[in-house]
Formats: sequence, structure tokens, C-alpha cells
Amino acid sequence: MKKKVLSTLLCVTMAATMFAGCGNNTTTNNSTTTDDAATNDVTTGTEEAAAPSGSGETISLRVWAAEEDQTLTNELIEKFKEANPDQTFDITVGVESEANAKDDILVDPEAAADVFAFANDQIVDLVNANVLQPVQDTETVSSQNVEGAVEAATVNDTLYAYPFSADNGYFLYYDSNVVTDPTNWDAILADCEAAGKKAGMVFASGWYNASFFYGAGFTTQLNADGSTTMDWNGTSVDGINGTDVAQAMLDIATNPAFLPITDGDTANQIATGTLGAIVSGTWDAAAVQEAFGDGYAATVLPTYTCAGQQVPMGSAAGYKMIGVNANSAQVGWAMELALFLTNEESQAARFEQRQIGPSNITAGEAPEVQENIAIAAVVAQNAANGVVQSVGNNYWDPTQSFGEIMAQGNPDGTDLQTLLDNLVEAVAQPVQ
Amino acid sequence: MGACMSENVKTKKENPAAEFFRSIGAFFKEFGEAVAKGDWGVKASLVVMGAGYWKRKQIVKGVLVTLLEIAVILYTVLIGIPYISQLGTLGEVERAMVYNPETMKNEVNDYDNSLLILLFGVISLSFLVVAVLLWFANVRNTYRLQKLAESGKHINTFREDCSAMLNDKFHFTLLALPVLGVVIFNVMPLIVMICIAFTNYDQNHMPPAQLFTWVGLENFKSLFTTSLTMTFGYTFWKILGWTLLWAVFATFTTYFGGIILALMINSKLTKLKKMWRTLFVASISIPQFVTLLLLRNFFANNGLANTFCASVGITDFFKNLGWITTDYIPFLTDPVWAKCTIVVINIWVGVPYLMLIATGVLMNIPEELKESAKIDGANPFQIFRKITMPYMFFITGPYLVTQFTANINNFNVIYLLTQDVYTTTDQKLAASSGKEIDLLVTWLYRLTSEQYNYKMASVIGICVFIVCAVITLFAFNFLIKGDKEETFQ
Repeated sequence: MKKKVLSTLLCVTMAATMFAGCGNNTTTNNSTTTDDAATNDVTTGTEEAAAPSGSGETISLRVWAAEEDQTLTNELIEKFKEANPDQTFDITVGVESEANAKDDILVDPEAAADVFAFANDQIVDLVNANVLQPVQDTETVSSQNVEGAVEAATVNDTLYAYPFSADNGYFLYYDSNVVTDPTNWDAILADCEAAGKKAGMVFASGWYNASFFYGAGFTTQLNADGSTTMDWNGTSVDGINGTDVAQAMLDIATNPAFLPITDGDTANQIATGTLGAIVSGTWDAAAVQEAFGDGYAATVLPTYTCAGQQVPMGSAAGYKMIGVNANSAQVGWAMELALFLTNEESQAARFEQRQIGPSNITAGEAPEVQENIAIAAVVAQNAANGVVQSVGNNYWDPTQSFGEIMAQGNPDGTDLQTLLDNLVEAVAQPVQ
Repeated sequence: MGACMSENVKTKKENPAAEFFRSIGAFFKEFGEAVAKGDWGVKASLVVMGAGYWKRKQIVKGVLVTLLEIAVILYTVLIGIPYISQLGTLGEVERAMVYNPETMKNEVNDYDNSLLILLFGVISLSFLVVAVLLWFANVRNTYRLQKLAESGKHINTFREDCSAMLNDKFHFTLLALPVLGVVIFNVMPLIVMICIAFTNYDQNHMPPAQLFTWVGLENFKSLFTTSLTMTFGYTFWKILGWTLLWAVFATFTTYFGGIILALMINSKLTKLKKMWRTLFVASISIPQFVTLLLLRNFFANNGLANTFCASVGITDFFKNLGWITTDYIPFLTDPVWAKCTIVVINIWVGVPYLMLIATGVLMNIPEELKESAKIDGANPFQIFRKITMPYMFFITGPYLVTQFTANINNFNVIYLLTQDVYTTTDQKLAASSGKEIDLLVTWLYRLTSEQYNYKMASVIGICVFIVCAVITLFAFNFLIKGDKEETFQ
């Protein structure tokens, strides 16, 4: 009999662990609420001009921000609470990188945070999944932020997000002790070779390698079915052939002073000290400054030689923004918070603590922002030749593959026109 | 599958498939008999399930069964029917949201969520099937009671029934919870996942904001066709080919590597046996993913291995041979090099396990066998080929087969070594998010996690299952035939 009891117990525990193991995948990061909702009822009567009046209930909100932004976000949230003293809040902050926000939100939009930060390349997917709540106070957002940022936050003429940074683009870092003329690739590569250094750029990424094509007047366009239309295999409005652009990329890639870098590996390559120049963004500013020392300099992207003429490189201008989850139970307060987190003071605080270039026009005009070498370069690049990249999900893998072929110097010797035709065909696939 | 299995065991047992269908037939025959010949109690339990038990004074049992019946009917009417009725379309009302500035909240219409409809529809439908089967069984049970009563035999009280569950029928009690768990947590989700292969659930049809619906065999068609714009077919066959090749290489290199290593350590000429064994086992104690991520950095284009090869002159040597055209050795970035590197790294990661298993088996080979072979004049290689290997094969056969299927699904090694490092230069593969070094399972993973293409992932999942099932069945039937047992007795 004892044996049976034992085995029954075993079975029950087995089943119990099974239940426990499967049922517990919801993250519980809600802190305990301060239970003073009742006292708040009294104050609801007093009307305030701009701020929404407090209702009796406690407003629970979840915010996702990048790991480096946790302290700052918490401080800003405290200020938000102070600005709305009539309302009880229970706001918790979770960690989610801006680069991956989409991946985790789309898994289960209803379980995602109410307010989250993301990079602008994800906005189309988020809008398609109806995750983003359209901005109500469009007047404030579009008048206070730079034009490019507002454009990047707009899909089909609707403003969907609150921009907070305008520095998520790439430009040229160079060591002024090595490179004397940073205005064109030929000079940069020659200078680097003379100094025994290399000039690096990520080729195998549709975000970086599109810069050659955008600069020559080519475009990408996202269609309603999720496919991307591109004209890279034809002739651009500037009268430049796509094959000439590809040949120009090959010429750079096969130059011995050029170093193709894998996406995400830029920091490692900077640290090796072999580089005299690199195309990257503000996220590498500290590393580059350390590597280049007193030669540290940044400027707009150089021109490249295309069929005998100098063509400026364009760039996929990048912005970071805060979105509000349309599935949120407190969508109104979530929008208030998003607006607060992206207002002028918050953006100024963000620059002060994290050196993030503001998208807010007034905050961007502050002298300390203007003096930041990297941010000045990205702002100049965006203004000169920045394009808000409009592409679908099927754009990335084919362009990455194309860039890799270019970076390897087209080892199979495939006809460039064929390569471009294949690329255009692949990105034109509807999502299936 | 059933038919294939049954042919081999036909000699020993009766065909299990036929037996299965016969028992189903018997079940319904008995039910028919119960309806035809049952007394009023049995007939009343067609409507009120407890009636038959009440007639035989089994009050508690009757009440419990009737309560269950009421619960099932209530569930079906209130929850089941609404979901089941929508299973055909998977919902028709798309979500619409309007922001109300006064309440500061979104006003949402009464929308359909396709995923929930599919999930609850399938669950409710299976509840219903089980309930109907229970109803059949219940009528049959009351008829059995009637026959017991007619032949004047003892009818169990509730207490006796309960104690029977702890004694004669203890296996039922014991298995009830685990079986329930398996059904709820494995079988049900599996059915839903399989259903998704026949829908258009992808990033353009994501619940709750959008609906998805049935598309029949469309997804299977697109997996097997290659057209100008669709390269799924091309990618599938290419990846399937490498998956199988990889499984063969990965399984047999580690298998023979492990045996040879174990033989070498076991050899009488080897000194410090325990030290060698410990050294190799030590590599197991490091988590696999740490090893793999470290090796990925070692073998990167600008990694340690390349720096070393360049300084020693191996890179130039390969260049002169014409094996590489780059200034570095593309260990993990060229299709052929990467495949070789991955197999070699897998040997390093997998051999210690096999060495341990082989050591155990080798120690169990009867020494007399080898001695008598030696007396008969067999050389060490002949002993290895004729005695050691057959013995090894016999003992480790099942392990070999499971290892093979595990390698088909060996996500870790491939994904951790190549993610963010390997970029395909095959434009057709890139168009379907595939890479030369992808296994079906890593391709599936990237389709779901990066492209949200759940329907294609589900289709590929089904294909992986079919491949694994076919190979396992063949392997078990041909590799490990049951009749070898006598050879080693």
C-alpha cells in the first residue's frame, strides 16, 4: 500500500510540475500599487486647463525602454507623476531594446507594454498589425520635431508615433591624422592605404548599402501588400544606371584598403585599431573617439566614383520614437505619458545624460548639442541626403545577400544586371 | 505507419491495427445490444446518464455522472457552440477601434479573434467527441450492470468502486493525471499548430487586429513550387538536402570518433587512462552554447583562428592552392568552408559523450570472445570488425537512430555558430530567408521569429515530422532487427 501512495504522489507532482511549467510564462513585473485612489476622489472636481483631470481609478501603465535608458526613464516618469498630481499612477518600466521592440510586441500585442520605444524601420510592421495608436495631439508633435522625424513617424498620412531622437543614422568617422580629404571614397582609400590603415563599412545590410543607390537618385517604395518596389536595376531620375552603382560598390570593395564589416561587428573592428575611417552611427561614438584619439572627426558621407563622375552617398535616416499600444486599457494616459517622454525637456535631459541627439527642434538648437561632433555629423547628413527608408519585410534578406556579394567582390563574376534583376524580383515578393 | 509496423511483428502477435478496429467494432456492437435489450434503466440513461446506476442503487455514481452530463451540456451550449460554429470561417468581424477623448479609452467593437476561435473551437470539438464516447460507454456500462444483476452477481457499492481504483484498477488512477497532462499540453496545441498549416496566418493576418482563414493546401503548394517570384520550393529542397547530409555526417563522425577515442584510451599501451578520460569529459562540463559562441568568435573572418593562420602562413598557402580568394579563411562565411567547419566543431562538441557510452559498452564485451578469436589467429583489426563493431551496433543501435533524428533537429550547433555571421550569396535562397547552412528547423525558426510566417513554419514543421518519422521507422526496422538478440546471448 505504501508503494502505491508513493507512486500516486509521484504522479501528482509530475502532473503538477507540468501545469506549473506551462502556465507561468506571463511576466509579472507589476509592482504593488499605492492604494490611495480613495483620497483622490475628492480632488476630481477641480478642473485644470491642459492636463486631463484625475479619475478615481489607479492608472496602471507598463513602459518598455532600452536597458541604458532605465534610470533616465524612471526619472522622467517621476516628473510625469509630479506634473499630474491629481491622478494615481502605477507605472512600471521593463527592459526592451529599441532595435527588437517589434519582434517582442508582434508575438502577442495584447501582452506588450502600453508605451514602448522603437526604431523607425519597424513602424510599418507595427502599423500593419494595428498595434500603434494614432497620435491625437498631432499639432504638438509635428510642430515641435524636425520634419524628417515627423515623416518617419507617419504612415499613410497618419501620425503614429512620438519621435525622440534624430541621431539613428550613419555618417563618416575618420581619423584626421590619417585621412586628409574625407569628401570622396577614392581619397579616403588612398590615404588609408598610405598610412597602412583601412576604411570600413557594412556592405551586407540593406540599411547601409542602400546609401549608394539613394545617393544616385534610386528609390524604394513599400506597397500595400507588404512587397517593396525598387528601381535599382534600371536608370535613376538622375540618369545613372544601377549597374554603374553596383560596379562602383565593387570598385570600393576590391580596393585593398577597404574592410567590409559584418553588421553588428563595427565596435569590435574599431577596437582593433586598424581603421582610419568607418561608416557608422552615434552608437559607436565613444569607441571611435578612443581609437582615433586627437584625430577624431566626423562628417557627412563621402562621394563615390560612379561611371566617371562623383556621386554623393545618400543615407537611410534613422529616428527613434515612442509608440502607444492601441490594445492598452489606458490608452489615453499612455498617450499623455508618451507625449511627456518626448517633449522638449525630456529630450534635453536625454541628451544630457545619454548623448542622444534630440529630434525636438528647440532642444536640437542648444549649443551643447551643436558642439557634439557625432550628432552634428548625423544632423548634417540627414539634412543633406537623408532618406526615410520605406521598405517591406522581404527587403532585408535579399539586400543583405546582394551586399555580401558586392563585399566579396562578386566572386562568381555574375553579370551585374542579373544580380540587380534578382534583387528587385526578390524584394517585390508579396508577403506570403 | 501502423501497417508498416505491424507487418514485422505479425509472426509474434496478431495484427494490432486489426485488433484495434475489432475492439472498436465490439464497443459499438455492445452499445447496440444495450439499446436493444436493455431494461428501462438502461434506456433512460440514454437521456439521463445516471438513471441506469440509480436503478441498481449506485446513487453517488449516478449523481456524479449526471452532474458531468449537465456540465458538458452547459459548456457546449454556452461556450462550445459559439466557437465551433465559427470554426468554418475562423471569424468574420474584424476589429475596429475608435478613440474616445472623454473616457480616454479606445472603444472596440465586438470583434472575432481567429486564433482564439481556432483554439477553443478545436478544444470544444474534442470535448464533444470525448463526451459522446463517454455517453456510449455509459450506456454500455449500465447494460453490463443489468446483466450482472440478472445473473445474480454482486454489484459494487460506491465505496467498493473507489477501493477498486486503488487496487485492481490502480493503473487507471496512476495514469489518469499524466495522460490528462499530455492531452492538454501536448496533443491539443499540436492539433492547433497542424491546423495553422492550412490557414493564412502570417504577418498580414495577425490576430487580434486582423482575421485569418482557411486556405486549404495553398501553403503546401507554395512550399513545393518555384516560380519567378516564389523560391520556397528551391529553398526547401536545398535545405532538406543539407539537413540530411548534415544528419549523416554529424551522427557518424561523432559515433566513430567516440568509439575510436574510447578504444585508444582503453588500449593496454595507453598510460594515465583516467586523466585522458577526465580531460575529455571536462569539455562536457562547459555549457554547449558557451563553447559554440566562443568558437564562432574564434573562427570569425577577423578572429583568432584567422590571425593565427595568417601569421603562420597557412592563409597564403591556401591562397596559392587556389582554395580561397580572400585575405582570410572564410571558416564560417563560405558555404563549403562553413559546412566543413560546422561538422568538425560538432565532432569536438559531440565526441566526449560517445566516448563515455562506448567506454561502457566496450568494457561489457565478454573477454572470452576476443581471446578465442585471438587463439583462432584473428588480428586486432579483424577482432574490431567482427566482434567489437557488431556488438557496439547492437547495443547502441537505438541510440544511433535517436541521435540521427536529434541531429536533423540540431538547432543549437547550426544557429549559434552561424547567426549574424553567415550571409548567403545565393539570391534565390535569400528571397525565401534561407541560407545554405540552414537546417529545416533553423529556417523554420527564422521564418517565425523574424518574418512571423506562422503558416509556412507550420508546413515546414509537418515536413520535418514526416522526414523524421520515415527515417526512424526504416532505421528501426532494418538496422535493429529483433532477431539479432540470440547472436549475443
